[in-house]
Amino acid sequence: MIGPAGEFDMTMLYGFYVLIWPALTLGVLVLICRAVLRDWRAARKEQRELV
Amino acid sequence: MNSESLYQFSIPTVLLLLFAFYSGTYLLTLRIGKKQEDADAFMVSNHRVGFGIGAASMTATWIWAASFYAAATSGYTYGVSGPIHYGLWGALMILFIYPFGRRFRKLAPNAHTLGELIHARHGASSQLILALSNVLGSVISLMVNFTAAGALVAVLSPLSFQAGVIIAGTGVLFYTLWSGFRASVLTDFAQLVALMAIAVVIIPAVFFAMGGPTELVAGLSNLTAEQANFFSMEAILNQGAPFFVAVLAYAIGNQTISQRLFAVNEAHIKPTFLTATVGYGAIVIGLGMIGLMALTLGIEPMGGDMNNLIPQMVSSYLPPLFIALFFILVIGSLSSTADSDLSALSAIMMADVYGKNIARGKADPKRMLLIGRLTMIVATAVGILFASFSLDILVMLVFVGALWGAIVFPVIASCFWNRVTNQAFTTSVLVAMVLFCLARFELLPLDGASGLFFELLASIGGGVIIGLMVFGFLGRIAGFIAAALALVSMLVFATGFLHEYTVLLASLTAYGASTLVCVVMSLMSRQPDFDFATIGEQVGDYDAPRPEPVTQGNQTASANAAIPR
Repeated sequence: MIGPAGEFDMTMLYGFYVLIWPALTLGVLVLICRAVLRDWRAARKEQRELV
Repeated sequence: MNSESLYQFSIPTVLLLLFAFYSGTYLLTLRIGKKQEDADAFMVSNHRVGFGIGAASMTATWIWAASFYAAATSGYTYGVSGPIHYGLWGALMILFIYPFGRRFRKLAPNAHTLGELIHARHGASSQLILALSNVLGSVISLMVNFTAAGALVAVLSPLSFQAGVIIAGTGVLFYTLWSGFRASVLTDFAQLVALMAIAVVIIPAVFFAMGGPTELVAGLSNLTAEQANFFSMEAILNQGAPFFVAVLAYAIGNQTISQRLFAVNEAHIKPTFLTATVGYGAIVIGLGMIGLMALTLGIEPMGGDMNNLIPQMVSSYLPPLFIALFFILVIGSLSSTADSDLSALSAIMMADVYGKNIARGKADPKRMLLIGRLTMIVATAVGILFASFSLDILVMLVFVGALWGAIVFPVIASCFWNRVTNQAFTTSVLVAMVLFCLARFELLPLDGASGLFFELLASIGGGVIIGLMVFGFLGRIAGFIAAALALVSMLVFATGFLHEYTVLLASLTAYGASTLVCVVMSLMSRQPDFDFATIGEQVGDYDAPRPEPVTQGNQTASANAAIPR
C-alpha cells in the first residue's frame, strides 16, 4: 500500500478498506462451520443432542 | 447516476423464495423436535450449547435487518468512517458484556434469564423492572423486523407491505413455536451461514461492478471534507458517541443476549462472544461500505428513503440472482432476530413472571411450556399488528432507551457489590428515568444552571461507562482510575457544550443519575451485606432435578459463586 516514493497508494488502501470486511466474514464463517462440525461429532459420540 | 426503479420479482417468485426459506427452516427444526419438550430446554437448551452454535446464534441474533440499512445509511451520511461508527460499536456491545456475563453465569449457572438472578439478589420489584425493559425491547425489535420484511417485499415485488409483514411473522412463529430456544439457536446457525456466504459474495460483487477501488477513489471528490475525514468529529458526535454510550445498555437490556449467555457451555463463553464480535462487525461494516460506495458515485436514495440504498445498489449493478440472494440475506437476518425475540419473550413470561412471581417456587413445567408458547403467539400478533399499522413507537423507543441506560449500573453493581439494596436499585432506576425525560424532552431549560446540572450528571455518566468497561476487563482499581480520568475529562471538555447534543446528554444523565443514587443509598443502608452464594441456591431448573453442572476448575457452580473475583 506504499507507493515507490513512500506515499500511500490510495487505490490500494481503499480497496483494502472495503474488501477486508468480506474477507473477515469468510474467516469467521469457516471458523464457525468447523466448530459446529466438531460439536456435532462430539454430540454424536456422546449420544446427546446438539442443542 | 440514479436508478429509476428497483428490480421487481414476480409474485410467484417472491412467494417461492419466502416459502423455500421458511419451509426449509421449519424442516431443520423437525430434526430436533421432541414430542414432549421440557421447560428448561425450551428456554436455554441444556446450558451446554457448543462454541460453534453459540457463536453463530449470538451473531445471527445481534444482526437484524436494520443493521444493514443503518450501516449503509451511516456510510452514506458520514462518509469514510460512517460504517465503522455503526458496526464497530454494535460489535463492542457483544464484546463488553462478556466479562460481566461470566460473572452472571458464575452466580447463577442454571438461570434462564438475568431477571431470575436479580430476583434472587433483590426481589420482585428490581426483577420486574429488568423484565419490563427486556419485554419492551423485544417487542420493539419484533415490530422493526416485521416492518423490514414488509418494506423489502413491497419494494422488490408487487406484493403489499402487509403481506410481507404477515408472511414473515407467521413464518418465524411456525418454526419457533414447538422447540423454542432450541429451534432458535439451530436455525440461527443455518441462517448465519447463508447470511455470511451471501455477504462474502455481494460486497465485492457490488464493489467491482461499480468500478472497484479506482472508481471509489475517483468519487472521493464528491465527499465533503468531513465525509472524507476518517476521524470526522461530526461522525463521532452524531453517530459514534450515542452508540458508544449504548454499548453496555443494549446488552444488559436485551434478554436475547442473556439467554445465550446462560445457554452456552460455560467454558466457551469467551470464544463465543469474541467470535460473535468479529463476525457481527465484519458483516455489518462490510455491508455499510455499500452506502459509502453509493455516496462516492453520487447516487441519491430512491424516494429520499435511505433504506433503499442497498437494494438500489444491488439492483443497479448486479443480475437478478444476486437480488434474490440479497432478499434471502435480509429475510434471514430479520428472522433470526425475530425468533430470538420470541424465545426471549417466552422465557421472561415463563421464568420471570410465572416461575418467580405467580408459581413462587412451585412452577409446573407443563404449564410453563404452555405459557411460553402462548406468549410467542401473542407477541407475534402484537408485532404484526404494530408493524402493519406502522405505529409510531418513538415514545416507546425513548422510554426503553432511558430504562436500559438507567439499569446498567444497578444491575452490574448488584452482581459485584454486596451492599447494593433492592431499594437502592429500584429508586435509582426511577430517579434516572425522570431525569432522563426532563433532559430528553427539554422539560427544563438546558442552558444556565439546570443545563450545568445535567452536564455534571452526564459527566458522571461518562465516567461510569468508561469505568465499567475497564473494570470488566482489568478489574476494580483500573476501573476506578479510568472512571476518574473520564469524569475529569468530561468535566473539563464537555461542560458548556454537551447540552447542545440532547440525545447524548439525556443518555449519559440516565447512567450518571442511577449510579449516584444507587451508590449513595447503598452506602447509607444499614442492611447486612448480601451473600452471593445464595443466588445459585435460589435459581435452578424447573424440570426434574439434574446433577449440578461442573464449571471451570471442576468446582460446582455454588462453590464458584463464593469465590471472590
